[in-house]
Amino acid sequence: MTLADPVAARSTRAETAERVLDVTGLSVDIETRHGPARIIDNISLHVGKGETLGVVGESGCGKSLTMLSLVGLLPNKIAVSGGRAEFAGEDLLRLGRKALRRIRGGRIGFVFQDPMTSLNPVMRIGDQIAEPLIYHRGMSRTDARKRGAELLRLVGIPSPEERLEAFPHELSGGMRQRVMIAIGLACDPELLIADEPTTALDVTIQAQIVDLVKELRQRLGMSIVWITHDLALIAGLVDRVVVLYAGTVVEDAPVDDLYAHPLHPYTRGLLASIPKLTDAAASRLSSIGGTPPEPGRRPKGCPFAPRCPLAMPICEAQVPALEAAGGERHRVACFAVDKEKRAAA
Amino acid sequence: MSAEPLLHIENLVKHFPVRLGAFGERQAIVHALDGISFDIETGETLSVVGESGCGKSTTGFAILNLHRPTSGKVVYAGVEISGLDEKAMRPFRKDLQIVFQDPYSTLNPRMTVGETLAEPMLFHKLADKRSVKGRINQLLADVGLPARFADRYPHELSGGQRQRVAIARALACEPRFIVCDEAISALDVSIQAQIINLLLDLQDKYQLTYLFIAHDLAVVRHISSRVVVMYLGRAAELAPRDALFETPLHPYTKALLSAVPEADPEVERRRQRQVLQGDVPSPLAPPSGCRFHTRCPIAQEICAREVPEWREARPNHFVACHLVSTETLA
Amino acid sequence: MPAETSIAPLGLETIPDEPATSLWRDAWRRLRANKLAVAGLVVIVLLALTAIFGPYFTPYDFLSQDLAHRNMGPTLAHWLGTDDLGRDVLSRIIYGARTAFIVAIVVTAIAVAIGVAVGAVAGFAGGWFDRIVMWLTDVTMSVPNLLLVIVINTSLKPPLAAWMDAEYQATLNPVFRNTVWIDFILVFGSMALITWPPYARLVRAQVMSVRSRPYVMAARALGLPAGTVLRRYVIPNALGPLIVAVSAGLGTAMVLESAFSFLGVGVNPPTPSWGNMIQDGLQVWQHYPHLLAAPAAVLAIATVAFSFLGDGLNDALNPRGAK
Repeated sequence: MTLADPVAARSTRAETAERVLDVTGLSVDIETRHGPARIIDNISLHVGKGETLGVVGESGCGKSLTMLSLVGLLPNKIAVSGGRAEFAGEDLLRLGRKALRRIRGGRIGFVFQDPMTSLNPVMRIGDQIAEPLIYHRGMSRTDARKRGAELLRLVGIPSPEERLEAFPHELSGGMRQRVMIAIGLACDPELLIADEPTTALDVTIQAQIVDLVKELRQRLGMSIVWITHDLALIAGLVDRVVVLYAGTVVEDAPVDDLYAHPLHPYTRGLLASIPKLTDAAASRLSSIGGTPPEPGRRPKGCPFAPRCPLAMPICEAQVPALEAAGGERHRVACFAVDKEKRAAA
Repeated sequence: MSAEPLLHIENLVKHFPVRLGAFGERQAIVHALDGISFDIETGETLSVVGESGCGKSTTGFAILNLHRPTSGKVVYAGVEISGLDEKAMRPFRKDLQIVFQDPYSTLNPRMTVGETLAEPMLFHKLADKRSVKGRINQLLADVGLPARFADRYPHELSGGQRQRVAIARALACEPRFIVCDEAISALDVSIQAQIINLLLDLQDKYQLTYLFIAHDLAVVRHISSRVVVMYLGRAAELAPRDALFETPLHPYTKALLSAVPEADPEVERRRQRQVLQGDVPSPLAPPSGCRFHTRCPIAQEICAREVPEWREARPNHFVACHLVSTETLA
Repeated sequence: MPAETSIAPLGLETIPDEPATSLWRDAWRRLRANKLAVAGLVVIVLLALTAIFGPYFTPYDFLSQDLAHRNMGPTLAHWLGTDDLGRDVLSRIIYGARTAFIVAIVVTAIAVAIGVAVGAVAGFAGGWFDRIVMWLTDVTMSVPNLLLVIVINTSLKPPLAAWMDAEYQATLNPVFRNTVWIDFILVFGSMALITWPPYARLVRAQVMSVRSRPYVMAARALGLPAGTVLRRYVIPNALGPLIVAVSAGLGTAMVLESAFSFLGVGVNPPTPSWGNMIQDGLQVWQHYPHLLAAPAAVLAIATVAFSFLGDGLNDALNPRGAK
């Protein structure tokens, strides 16, 4: 069975058909000593029904904060300052706390990075899975536990009924992450947001979890947002990729397009700097000089300009808009790319 | 390459006693390292790879005598340094250095960059009060940092910058051998490439020998001359880089290579991944015989009974597995 | 895969152009921003100044009695009234501040000195020394504090006093005449004895946590001797919680001193101490409330001020930012 077709099919569906999540112009500020500083600037992204979106960026780019801001989980001193986030016909950014709580866990499931700190160490697994079921679905305790066992079986945990009684520290890292996925899926959410779910895991365990997610996606058909810094990991996992840098979207493309024809200098630099197993063993890697700007100290204009080999005067003065280039579904925020396109035209 | 290895490691063992139970009533032993042997040649980069609990960091610490080995030998330039007390070890310390994983705790927060770099040079009499400033500037230039960083405190630097300072600190002693203990794992991808290039440049410039401990096989591929794969405190396979990546012999190595994702959607879609079942056992209670037998796809009865011998299955290609014969495997 | 050569030169490392700040300066800035902590600090400084310079400005000597005007409430002549011997309450409070501060500072200084030395070595070296230290702190902390102090005082004071007397007789050296010093030495000694263990444990715990940090391992890997590592790498990074504890500890020491004077085992009359003023006041508070209210209020204010300062230091030295 060729898998190439379903991927392309999913991407096309996302553009034309229903979008589960549609974020436009999201901006987030942080309170600093010198007043509010923008850390996420005008982000727009969307997830189609049944689609898997990869959100990629390095630390400080705002990928986690973007997702947390959608469900009102931003830490102190950080707040949304603009934008819209359409989910199930409502604007998440305008909802009150009570309404957001109903959505969190109920219609949007979360899987976090470190299962040891994301699971309550003093609560049994069964109780932790049961909680969202009881709260969001109004299930009785017994029904919730039955469903809990089903979920554990679904995520591949052997002897699920016994495992319900276990505490998190009795399970290994891989098992705990499976439990987290089970909790995330407990209420059949339309959207599952996974924030670096395999970063803390060994590579062989990571392979297990990736397999699991692929299988679950096949069976349950939910939309997934997979946040990570690992460009290699999502290559075989997602349908589309959004690349973030210093709080802005720099490129947004279907997965094959992005890896075959990356347009933004940052994306190209990132892809070029990853050592690959299949390359002939070269000893030097290309790298991007300098460091990303501190959140809150973003430069005027394009945030990547200080490190960009194609930087022009306009790049330091204005922020480039995210526009289609190289295909309708491939968008990029870069003045240099536009120039090339226009030169080719 | 000289004939005499720079470091000779023989049957290195490190056990940690721990207290378990709510009141610390039970004593148990963490078998972090259970008999590992190899040589490190001058000028090479030997990488140690493995997953959590395999003992790779412990190997680095034990070689440098930062953790006193429970048993076994480490011989440096003909002298047995394992188990020497601090005083006897001191003269060797300048030759054998280490760069740690976490850039955010690798530098003393109360000392400026300059003070951190000056300390070892002054202590080992590699510079005096007058020449130390010049040396500091040279070290900073070597690692790609401007001289004015010398007055800064670590908390004012980014992760990548701090790691460069850590590398400069290791260089300050004019070492011959540096253990890079997951030195790039905690850095962002784009910074990792910078630091890898830096390490390679420094190796050329100062004729350094590296023990590169990592879990990222793609990085290891780029920088190693030889690779040793560890599992639960024992070595599974040791081979020159190309041999390991192209013709791995040990089933664990094969599974590891299979699990590493590639930044290429086509390749990812088409690959047949060999996914290992189960979890890594705990070093508190390692399995009998070959420690990998609980997860090995081709395990036989002998694997649970006997510890496989560390043999040279091919020239320069060592492996510990009952099922690898010295003839070519299909 | 598009081929891409090295993108930008390595020398793009930047840091902001603000001047370098050490962690201490950052902490001081955070402390300044905390209003309660600053208030506490101001109160303490005022009290300290009172303690040092006040006695030169008191309207009356703390001993002078005015039997004609006993137990009077606040008047213009006596701002806080007089006690049952006609002594001016305000002056006694000011002298009491001096007592309180001297005792608190000296006792805490001794306790911290012992605690840091013992705790740091125990935490760093471990082994048998650590075990002995822990046993010692356990023993000291398990004996009831008051009992220990009372026992020490009552058993040591008479022989010490007698010895001082004998020496005075023998040498006629005026140093031996003033028995007030015995009070202070016994008070300092016994209070230091009961307050050093918590500092030792705190420092030991901090040192144990710091000594496994990579920068300490790096210092060892550089071949630096244990003493240098302890002094430059471990102790400066273990001080944070200690500073907080000292601030709170000063307040506690003041209260402790008052408690002991109250019980008669601390500073004895006629040396004024808030503690013995409270004791006297307790006996007659229903008739002359000002005799109790004044010392109690001042003690309370001082303790609260130390508490605020301690909290502020805690926040300043361990900032919890959103990272």
